[in-house]
Amino acid sequence: MRLRRLAMAVTAVALVAALGSAGASAQEYPTRPINMIVSFPAGGSTDIGARVVAGIAEKILGQPIVVVNRGGAGGQVGWTELSRAKPDGYTIGFLNLPATNTTILDPERQAIFNEGSFTPIANQVLDPGVVWVAANSPFKTFKDVLDAAKAKPGTIRAATTGILSDDHLAILMVEEASPGANFRVVHLLGGAAQMKETLGGNIDVSFDNVGGIVPQVKSGQVRALAVMDTERSKFLPDVPTTKELGLPTVISSSTRGIGGPKGMDPAVVKKLQDVFAQAMKDPDHVKRLEDAGLAIKIMVGAEYEKYYAETHEKAKKYTEWAKNRPQK
Amino acid sequence: MVDTFHHLMAGFAAAATPTNLMFAFIGCFLGTLIGVLPGIGPAAGTAILIPLTFQLDATGAIIMLAAIYYGAMYGGTITSVLINVPGEAASVITCIDGHAMAKKGRAGAALGIAAIGSFIGGVVATVLLVLVATPLSRLALSFGPPEFFALMIVGLVLVTSLAGSSLLAGVLMTITGLLISLIGLDPVRGAPRFTFGIPELFDGLGFIPVVMGLFGVGEILATAEKPYREVIKTNLRGLIPSREEWNRSMGAIWRGTGIGFFLGLIPGVGAIIPTFMSYIVEKRLSKHPEQFGTGVIEGVAGPETANNSYANGAMVPLLTLGIPSSPTIAVLMGAFIINGLAPGPLLFQERPDLVWAVIASFFIGNVLLLILNLPLVGLWAKILEIPYQYICAGTLLFCIIGAYSINQSIFDLWVMLGCGVIGYLMRKLSFPLAPLVLGLILGPQIEKSMRTSLEMSAGDFSIFVTRPLSASLLALAIAILVFAAMQFAPKEIRDPNAD
Amino acid sequence: MRRGWFVTAGVFLALFAGTAFLSFKLPLLDALGPGPGFFPLILALLGGVLALALVVELKRDPQAPAGAPQPDAEPFMPDQGALFRIVGIIVLLLAAFTALDPLGYRVTSFLFIVLMLLVLGVRNYLAIVLVALALSFGVFHSFYYWLKVPLPIGEFGL
Repeated sequence: MRLRRLAMAVTAVALVAALGSAGASAQEYPTRPINMIVSFPAGGSTDIGARVVAGIAEKILGQPIVVVNRGGAGGQVGWTELSRAKPDGYTIGFLNLPATNTTILDPERQAIFNEGSFTPIANQVLDPGVVWVAANSPFKTFKDVLDAAKAKPGTIRAATTGILSDDHLAILMVEEASPGANFRVVHLLGGAAQMKETLGGNIDVSFDNVGGIVPQVKSGQVRALAVMDTERSKFLPDVPTTKELGLPTVISSSTRGIGGPKGMDPAVVKKLQDVFAQAMKDPDHVKRLEDAGLAIKIMVGAEYEKYYAETHEKAKKYTEWAKNRPQK
Repeated sequence: MVDTFHHLMAGFAAAATPTNLMFAFIGCFLGTLIGVLPGIGPAAGTAILIPLTFQLDATGAIIMLAAIYYGAMYGGTITSVLINVPGEAASVITCIDGHAMAKKGRAGAALGIAAIGSFIGGVVATVLLVLVATPLSRLALSFGPPEFFALMIVGLVLVTSLAGSSLLAGVLMTITGLLISLIGLDPVRGAPRFTFGIPELFDGLGFIPVVMGLFGVGEILATAEKPYREVIKTNLRGLIPSREEWNRSMGAIWRGTGIGFFLGLIPGVGAIIPTFMSYIVEKRLSKHPEQFGTGVIEGVAGPETANNSYANGAMVPLLTLGIPSSPTIAVLMGAFIINGLAPGPLLFQERPDLVWAVIASFFIGNVLLLILNLPLVGLWAKILEIPYQYICAGTLLFCIIGAYSINQSIFDLWVMLGCGVIGYLMRKLSFPLAPLVLGLILGPQIEKSMRTSLEMSAGDFSIFVTRPLSASLLALAIAILVFAAMQFAPKEIRDPNAD
Repeated sequence: MRRGWFVTAGVFLALFAGTAFLSFKLPLLDALGPGPGFFPLILALLGGVLALALVVELKRDPQAPAGAPQPDAEPFMPDQGALFRIVGIIVLLLAAFTALDPLGYRVTSFLFIVLMLLVLGVRNYLAIVLVALALSFGVFHSFYYWLKVPLPIGEFGL
């Protein structure tokens, strides 16, 4: 009997102690740890970027930022979670443009969130698209690739890193900008599979992002033919841009930024913007990401919102095409 | 060759500095812990620790992360053997005979042989890595989607060996596993299949929740029927494998090493398939296949060796080509990159000091793992002496954390419970669970590689038979199927009462 | 007990029939050969045939198939005490999953462990509370703060 009373006392003390630490006002935000949803499994480049910035930002913020990997369905599971979260600032997450947009736009995906479901906070990385081939490929320039795709339409095997990825949209942009060129599109699951099949000669030309191939370009295993941007990438200074090559409409990239559910308190958003902008300028953050070949592009507030809206419009057109394009 | 030897010796000198030794030790320890704890697999575990390595120099950081990786491969075994819950996915198959051994009071022997097998597998695979890494790297590239498809078909027909005594039951379970694996977005068009509009199903049923349910929760429900079983006594002699167990294990260990290393060279195979292949091969070659599932030591020694050998073999495509073979290796590659190093052929020329120090640390790490784990075997086995009720409650909580933490998803918990009830019923009815799990692993691989092949050939099926490697693997699959049919059919027709 | 195999074969048949039905609603073929519905349909048909074969085999021979539980095996239904424990475990798991989000990990797992140990017949109350505290608050602290594994925090911040 005495044991039972002791047991009850221990329980009560523990519960009171724990409850006492809860429930503080929104003015002192943040008062407890913040969850940061990454919609891809641990170890992907979004995840690594998130862990680097979270590690620095939590020191500025004074509360732990816990990276929560909610992988699945090409990011859809994580974004669903983020859009449903309480907009109290304790759940934020990574938006990957244009993957977030194409998920919304593809009717087959039945996404329960839309372009208005998120509050853009701060962009971290803008990784331009790149066209590349294996080092032993007969294609020396991007023009060689296009000529081949025009000479024998539907025979040049072009790999994406996934259906409706930014790389998939980029192939459509190339086909649109150079009439007559037509690729045999092969969807591979991710950059590692693409690297393996291209080096192994099962793929003729690959579409990916600069960050995915910088190490292999340096080691001479692959050759980058064009960067799909208006200015040259500082990681591949010798590679011409699509703009230089006369394809100014072929501009494609993958960006990663921090966002929250819609309806967040503007004061909280402002605080997060300041904290993350500061963290992203931290020399350690800059060095880590640049070593990985990821170009930092900090966009906050109106700038990021504008970029978000523009990406959505652009993705709309190409997603429709992708769904209707007959496979040759 | 002399050159290689010099580099390796220099590598040992670098890896054996007190600081780097300490990193290797911390890595092995943390890895074992990650393997044991629910909810943190090797991929997540390594990813979480990457930021902690920023303070370290590159060599130390990579030595530590690599040690975590193969340490976790061993740690997962411990929970499989003790409570029938795989601590990480590559230890699923160990549940079958490992836990059966534990129930017979041989938990110590199971853990001991797993540690020894892992050590041999890891060291031999690293020797092979040193000697033949560069020539073998081409092999990884020769497995394109058609060859991969053919290889997975070989794996699928081998399932007939997992079937137990009723081939029909085994094949039905395999088909069920394959069908379950098809739930989710279809890999080519992205169309949802069998998802009933539930977003959580878009990525399919999670592997970890399913196996934690089938094995862990199913086992708890089954033992709850007779809860007042005696505490399993393990005396000191029970900790060491007996002479007979040794003899039975040695062949399994060598074959497991070969299977693990070979499959490690092919990116995309993953850590689970080698363990299944090793188990199947052991059962095929065994003089008493009917004993598998009742706690035979080969069923632990083979797969546990294979997964460590795989872990080291998978370093070949990473170091020679910069291609990660599995999610965990991808994290490790991320660690290289974020420390300013690009894995691939150039790394051997640019930073031979680092590459060879890391390779040397694989040897050191495997030795450390053995030293760390053998004395702990007795301690782990003691856990089984805790009263049953506490083990039961603890195991269930362990499963909850494990299934939940993968995706922070309550939905996964429902999946686990559903699979737990199914696993319990299947156990009562003596339906085999292993074929279902193999179907679950192979399903997405088969469909994805087949349809990618057809994307490559614009719909021409001849791609599977015009490529020599793919054609020979498919021929092998047919041969295995014919052989299995001959083995099963006459017995069941001629003598239906046969045991 | 053999009835168990009959029922299982029936469940398999129903499962495969349902799968086949749903597969028909998906495109079976696309421009490049098999479409999303192709594999499920083939597998469901193959499974259906095999499940029927299992039924036939069970009917034809009282001993077959080898490996099926024999008529003299122990009864399928567990005794009453065992049934109480099994149902108790399942109900407690259901309750815990429902409570996890609103109450958070710490409260849920504390209550779960206490109730589970009571259901399983432990009556040492001090041990129950200490074990429950360690597995709820102790585990939460080490996972959340040291290992950075996020476990749920409930409505009350616990």
